[in-house]
Amino acid sequence: MTALLEVRDLVTAYGKIEALKGVNLDVQQGSITCLLGPNGAGKTTLMMTIAGILRPRIGSIRFAGEEIAGRPPHAIVAGGAALVPENRLVFPNMTVLDNLHAGAYQRKDDFASDIERLFTRFPRLKERSTQLAGTLSGGEQQMLAVARALMSRPKLLLMDEPSLGLAPLVVEEIFRIITQLHQDGVSIFLVEQNAHMALKVAQHFYLMEQGKVTFSGTPGALAEDEVIRRAYLGSARA
Amino acid sequence: MILDLIQNSFDGLAMGASYALLAVGFTLVFGVLRRVNLSYGPAIMFGCYAATWVSFSFHSNIFLLLGIAVLGSVLAGTYVERLCFAPHHKGSAIAAMVASFALWMQFEEVVTLVMPKHLYDFPPMFDAEPLAIGPLSLRAEALVMLACALAICFALHRMLYRSRFGLALRAVTDAPVAAQLAGINVPRVLLLVFLLASAIGGLAGWLIVSTHTQVTPMLGMWSTLKGLLAMMIGGLGSLPGAVIGGLALGVLEAHSQWFLGPQARDLIAYLLLFVLLAWRPRWMTTSHG
Amino acid sequence: MGVLTNIGLISFVALSAYLLILAGEMSFGQQGFFGVGAYTAGVATAMYGVPLPIAALMAMGAGAAAAFLVGLPTLRLRGLYFAMATLAAAEMLRIVFELIHFQREIDGEPVGPDGTQGFRGIRWVFENGVEREGYLAMVWGLLFVVVILFLIVERSKLGATLRMLGEDPELARMLGIHVERFKLGVVATAGALAALGGALYAHHNTYIEPRNFDIMLGVHSLAYALIGGLGTVFGPLLGVLIDIGALEGSRVFHGYRMIVFGGLVAVLLIFRPRGLLDERVVHWLKRRLA
Ligand SMILES: Nc1ncnc2c1ncn2[C@@H]1O[C@H](COP(=O)(O)OP(=O)(O)O)[C@@H](O)[C@H]1O
Ligand SMILES: [Mg+2]
Repeated sequence: MTALLEVRDLVTAYGKIEALKGVNLDVQQGSITCLLGPNGAGKTTLMMTIAGILRPRIGSIRFAGEEIAGRPPHAIVAGGAALVPENRLVFPNMTVLDNLHAGAYQRKDDFASDIERLFTRFPRLKERSTQLAGTLSGGEQQMLAVARALMSRPKLLLMDEPSLGLAPLVVEEIFRIITQLHQDGVSIFLVEQNAHMALKVAQHFYLMEQGKVTFSGTPGALAEDEVIRRAYLGSARA
Repeated sequence: MILDLIQNSFDGLAMGASYALLAVGFTLVFGVLRRVNLSYGPAIMFGCYAATWVSFSFHSNIFLLLGIAVLGSVLAGTYVERLCFAPHHKGSAIAAMVASFALWMQFEEVVTLVMPKHLYDFPPMFDAEPLAIGPLSLRAEALVMLACALAICFALHRMLYRSRFGLALRAVTDAPVAAQLAGINVPRVLLLVFLLASAIGGLAGWLIVSTHTQVTPMLGMWSTLKGLLAMMIGGLGSLPGAVIGGLALGVLEAHSQWFLGPQARDLIAYLLLFVLLAWRPRWMTTSHG
Repeated sequence: MGVLTNIGLISFVALSAYLLILAGEMSFGQQGFFGVGAYTAGVATAMYGVPLPIAALMAMGAGAAAAFLVGLPTLRLRGLYFAMATLAAAEMLRIVFELIHFQREIDGEPVGPDGTQGFRGIRWVFENGVEREGYLAMVWGLLFVVVILFLIVERSKLGATLRMLGEDPELARMLGIHVERFKLGVVATAGALAALGGALYAHHNTYIEPRNFDIMLGVHSLAYALIGGLGTVFGPLLGVLIDIGALEGSRVFHGYRMIVFGGLVAVLLIFRPRGLLDERVVHWLKRRLA
């Protein structure tokens, strides 16, 4: 396996405060990689930096062999990485269908078949295709955010806490979709608080604390690490 | 009496059509950027002065002048966007607004340096007599202006809901960060909106000065104020609202000028704006469409 | 000399715009209250022989009252809505000045506001033997007092409340501050301040006309506050100084003043969107000086 995404010594700051203090991590081609970490660790900051919304102060981000640090977001989408942002961030005053069209903004080819395929994967979206996205439920909006990101046909799907605030059944649905996408050949880099669900799907884990990666390993190694187990798997451990 | 009322309404609609066009340009920028461009009128004035200068020095084919007016205000608009709006996309609305005011000062001075007279003649659109409909009269220019306002509003609406650029525009308006994540080049969309608004402004300016057959440096302030007023009356951020606001403002002004005089006309227009703002009916605060 | 007096006079409007920015409101209408002050004080001294100090107080009262009346229905408005409402109010005031024809015979001459013809003969300063230097000292003395008041307020709890109102009105509300009432107070104070400037302006020029109080003055005062800096009361003063002082004072830019000034402001705001003396610079300076 080769690394699809390589992050090296990445520093991103809000004014004087450094939210990322030299982050190093890799996402392998064809893998599901999961980033865990407490609130305020800098996970969203990392995702936004990779997606080009935030500019890193120093460091390198290589994606598919190319340096992308500091590039504008549309160039990164064009390169084949799409982010499903935290809190979904759909276009609330546009219809579901228009949301999907916006996701395909850069595509010059015909994407009608993509929409058909996504509608079979997300039947709820088909039912509501002419409804305004702002009127959807939280779970439906999450599905729409994922579908919108998929419209650009990404090689790498970045997902920032897709299960946040959703009912357990919906969370399961989301994770089912994640595994399906993975089987279809999309590499996935996932931020999660829900370590239990993540353990079932991801092949590699990173733990981020206070702007730094403090653990890196397989699900097995993660489950064995006493500290992590206490913090993230807690009493719910079977 | 009834005839006066009808005639006034005609005159008002004619004037209102120019307000409507100005307001449409304003609305386009405000709807997407949530920023007020005080230099909107002065950039139009710049375009109109460029056209006036050409008509004096070389030629006065009206369509050539239209082209110059549009080109001039698009150029001026680009300058304003680069200097006042692009640097403040994420930052302060008030800084952007004050910067646009600073450039207004520049436009006024440039224009008066090159063409220092108080008033310049501008060639009329055509030498047609006013159309007589019974005892009423209607200027042909007014009809052209009305037609332009409606056509542009219609075209913009189609553009918004039928084109790729329109989709990008709506996306940027709705959720700018999400638009970036969807792969839309947001800064470029914002620049293009600005240029589109400037081009519409240039057309509006040309229609106005060739109807009045004169150009003065007051055109800048006048266009900004009337455009803003019509936009606010029409409900901020809605294109049909801008057209209705412009027409309503025109008719209101015509009647109050006829019955109460020119000062009362302006007084009533501002009073209406003030009352609407203070009272804030529903359609003034919801902005979409 | 004239330049120095002008700097002083315009500073009052700039400060009144600054006061509102601190409270989170952008006004396009301070010129209206400046005008109310100018007309009130002019009528008082020239038509009724009221001494200038009392006339200035009357002007402040009138300015505060006018601002209060404008503020009352527009309190809930924010941002552009408030800016437009104040602009509408100021333009209404300007048109009212155009409509006022109110004159008295004094020594065989009609004196008083005469619509668009303006209002001549506001000669109290000359008739009472005040030298130009004396008047200059008076203007700057009053400005000095106002600046001191600003400094005292900025250091007090009142100043902290004011800035909180500007930055986070919801927080202020939760902390039990009567946001509306407080804001109304700020609006009225700013109106009085602008009116004081207007009263002094009228007596410096001896002639005023409605045109003096159009949107140009209002937006200029906003621009002064913003380029000078929002971190301290000296910011707006610096803004006035840069424009009127440096550029008008030196004749180098004669004829190109607005081109230079306009470009300067636009470029400056790119790098310093809260002005030269913004909060960071002020903080740094204070640490340096302490
Ligand atoms: N817009 C912002 N401005 C300033 N600080 C921010 C901003 N966004 C996040 N931060 C700070 O950066 C740190 C990392 O935040 P974030 O990346 O959102 O963490 P996570 O997603 O892991 O919860 C936190 O300390 C947070 O307070
Ligand atoms: Mg987060």
